[in-house]
Amino acid sequence: MVIRRSRDDFIQIEEIEPVHGELLRQLPSYCDPTGDPKAEERLFSRPADPSEGQINRDWEEFVRPELRHLFLSARRIVEEDLQQLDDVSGSQEQLFIPLAHVDAWLNTLNQARLVLAARYDFSEAELSGHEDPETFLQRDVALLQINFYAVIQEHIIDVIQSN
Amino acid sequence: MADTVEETKTEIDLAVPWNVVVHNDPVNLMSYVTMVFQKVFGYSKEKAEHHMLEVHHKGRSIVWTGAREQAELYVQQLHGYLLLATLERTQ
Repeated sequence: MVIRRSRDDFIQIEEIEPVHGELLRQLPSYCDPTGDPKAEERLFSRPADPSEGQINRDWEEFVRPELRHLFLSARRIVEEDLQQLDDVSGSQEQLFIPLAHVDAWLNTLNQARLVLAARYDFSEAELSGHEDPETFLQRDVALLQINFYAVIQEHIIDVIQSN
Repeated sequence: MADTVEETKTEIDLAVPWNVVVHNDPVNLMSYVTMVFQKVFGYSKEKAEHHMLEVHHKGRSIVWTGAREQAELYVQQLHGYLLLATLERTQ
């Protein structure tokens, strides 16, 4: 898989292997924290110490719905971009991301990584290990996904900052 | 009398500077955190990296101090980028 700046206003992800294409297609589905209090708590963390009751209550009422809308909007943009993958057959696919969508992509990749990390309760050592799992239990696969999405995030940041 | 006390407390709340604190999170990438500090605060890459490394090594960094209203706005923006950020009274 290669990630580079293409034309004027696009980031191009090309030579996407089928397994990577599948992980990309699944990306938005991992962002939903519904039914998982730890993931919900991480995506919508408290803005102040619990002793600052009024600030936390106001935040819950006014800011949290805006954040929920922001995260959902980012996911929808990514979902639309990912439809390009469904239109191409063959073993390797490519994806064009408009530069205007980069924030939505970085946000959605982060949502998925945070939700997976909270859901499977990964430690800092596990997250920084970058070791291939010895088993393929669901938890091991989740760690691979977190690292795969991190690689995409890192490359997108590199590409936008080097131009 | 009670109203006066409440008003005075609110005035003090608004007058006291507040810190915007970013806390360590093992999931967020160092490059991403640096980029967010540059975008939200307009910091140079060097300053943004300094705060990012402080978060990474010390667990937290005070990234901005000032009026409560602006501090709340910054925390909201940081949460929009999914960073762990809080408001704290100075002192």
